[in-house]
Amino acid sequence: MALVLRQAFLIASKDTRIFFKDRFAMAFAFLFPFIFIVGWSAALSGQGPRDEPLDITLVTQEEEGISLSVIEELSQSVYASVSTRPYDDALAALQDGEIDGFVVFPADFTQKIVSGASTSLGVVVNDDNPDAEAALSGFAQEVAGRFTEAQIAFRAAADLAAQPQGELQAEPPDRTSAEFDSDTAPTVGLVLERVGDVVPFRASNFTLPAYLTMFVFFSAALSAEAIARERQNQTLERLMSNGTRRESIVLGKFIGTAYRSAAQLVVMWLAGILLFDIYLGTAPVAVIAISVLMALASAAFGVLLASFVRSVQAAGSAGVLTSLVLAPIGGCWWPLFIAPQWMQSLAKLTPHGWANGGFNKLMLFGAEAGEVTQELGALVAFAAAFLAIALWRFRTAAQ
Amino acid sequence: MADTEFLVAHGLRKAFGPFQAVDSVSFTISQREIFGLLGPNGAGKTTVIRMMSTVLKPDDGHISIGGFSVTADSDSVRKLIGVCPQELALYPELSATDNLVFFGRMAGLNGRQARESARENLERVGLQDRARDRVEQFSGGMKRRVNIAIALMSRPQLLFLDEPTVGIDPQSRNHIFETVENLRDEGMTVLYTTHYMEEADRLCDRLAIMDHGSIIGLGTPRELKSEIGNPDRVTLEDVFLEYTGRRLRD
Ligand SMILES: Nc1ncnc2c1ncn2[C@@H]1O[C@H](COP(=O)(O)OP(=O)(O)OP(=O)(O)O)[C@@H](O)[C@H]1O
Ligand SMILES: [Mg+2]
Repeated sequence: MALVLRQAFLIASKDTRIFFKDRFAMAFAFLFPFIFIVGWSAALSGQGPRDEPLDITLVTQEEEGISLSVIEELSQSVYASVSTRPYDDALAALQDGEIDGFVVFPADFTQKIVSGASTSLGVVVNDDNPDAEAALSGFAQEVAGRFTEAQIAFRAAADLAAQPQGELQAEPPDRTSAEFDSDTAPTVGLVLERVGDVVPFRASNFTLPAYLTMFVFFSAALSAEAIARERQNQTLERLMSNGTRRESIVLGKFIGTAYRSAAQLVVMWLAGILLFDIYLGTAPVAVIAISVLMALASAAFGVLLASFVRSVQAAGSAGVLTSLVLAPIGGCWWPLFIAPQWMQSLAKLTPHGWANGGFNKLMLFGAEAGEVTQELGALVAFAAAFLAIALWRFRTAAQ
Repeated sequence: MADTEFLVAHGLRKAFGPFQAVDSVSFTISQREIFGLLGPNGAGKTTVIRMMSTVLKPDDGHISIGGFSVTADSDSVRKLIGVCPQELALYPELSATDNLVFFGRMAGLNGRQARESARENLERVGLQDRARDRVEQFSGGMKRRVNIAIALMSRPQLLFLDEPTVGIDPQSRNHIFETVENLRDEGMTVLYTTHYMEEADRLCDRLAIMDHGSIIGLGTPRELKSEIGNPDRVTLEDVFLEYTGRRLRD
């Protein structure tokens, strides 16, 4: 094991050295994605409500209860200008075309939440206005997600209060949504399907992570080509006859590619923050965690490809093709949250989809770190599975 | 003689799909011997070397090197051998020194040992002045010499040289001959494959002629020559064509 690690790190640092000597590779890894992102951000920022708060109408059918305090909290949001109306009023305004739609908290909302039952938020829009439907559903989805959390916190607090001593502990029990499975944690559902975002986003808050994901995976996929070249010019066989283990080669290539992916991520994030003033959300640590895991998953993807292709040409085409297919499926070309449900489900089959899902949650919808544990877990699983298959399949010879 | 046999190969066979690339190959190489493996394109020379250097498993047969079985004890064998593949198995983007140091470290040397060994071996192949230059800027002959120097980094007892002189000028070729002879004089055993008969005639103590995966002639150059005529008159080229025929290959 120590031998394998030593050899793997020697290979990785050799590859890194080669990379930094190769100006073209560097330009391809850093400059090209950067130009791409700048271009698209500029193109997209012309459209849509850049920095303009979205008008959202909320209706609550409760006299008092949780929904009122939530509405109050939401009214302070800088992203949306929130107004409330009675139901009939809102309906009339919708019919008059004064508003595009509204979100309704049902009359039994608080009661359902407190009793631990499931409930739903309503989204009312005109049939012929898919944009409003998307925006409001996304908003409601987000609110619903928060409620599920709130409800859990509430239950935790209730548990606490129910303790016979009645003693108030300084810290509430440390429970997060991840610890509740869906059977025990009642959810706040939605009447409409989940689609759409709410927060008027800066284009770069979506484009930067999306294109970054695409390019990191693309560059990593192309490392399969470099591996195939080494197979062809027999350096891998030479290493094997020299006492190098097959696993060392796979791991070394994996680590080297992960270094490069990580370097790409650091450069791009810094550029994004310094030049585009992108917003990392309330949990930048989670953005970093997703980035790191994405670097690992992409590197594992590179060695996986290398273990399936033989020739250099095959590796090159496989790298380009898989990237071209996976990037749009994984939500790198357009936001997943505006895509139909089946596309969102399809995206879950790709590491890109999970990475983008996480970035969007964190950077557009203001999610906390605890809300992206699924995304983090999925990326770990992809990285581990890709690497395991590569270790099993990888051959050093071109036979 | 038997006690100095460093490499013993017996009944080697290897097929790729239906194609029998190596068929019942047996020979031995003594310590401090330069053994030539000659044969036309596709004869199976490289396949034999790949099996002997632990990277390809024979379908059948047995190889032992320095007393260790290549299949059962490949780790021990790998410590004894150095391989210079037919391809330029190196990193053109790196300097000559960086290439040697990398392969040396992969073979188990520590950083200092590897740098020292790299210096020695670059000097041996006459590249000490270009040590810091990238290999991609080298001429074909210089690259070939780096390829050989890498194989020497693990201080092997048995060196496999698979066509080390393809496509290079007489000066570089001559330099390589001298290097190989020096190594033999220092105690190294060498397996050398080539298409060039005068090369084999000059360098090899003994040689085997291979064709279609089998060995069709085995002995010292003089023995082989005397089989077809007066050893002082005929060349190894005559022997080769006599054995393998004049039909074009590949
Ligand atoms: N991995 C492989 N898969 C299929 N066939 C192979 C493979 N490796 C070698 N062969 C075939 O086996 C035969 C022997 O090949 P080998 O490379 O050993 O010949 P060689 O004597 O080294 O030739 P050359 O002088 O051209 O280097 C050739 O016909 C080759 O096409
Ligand atoms: Mg060959």
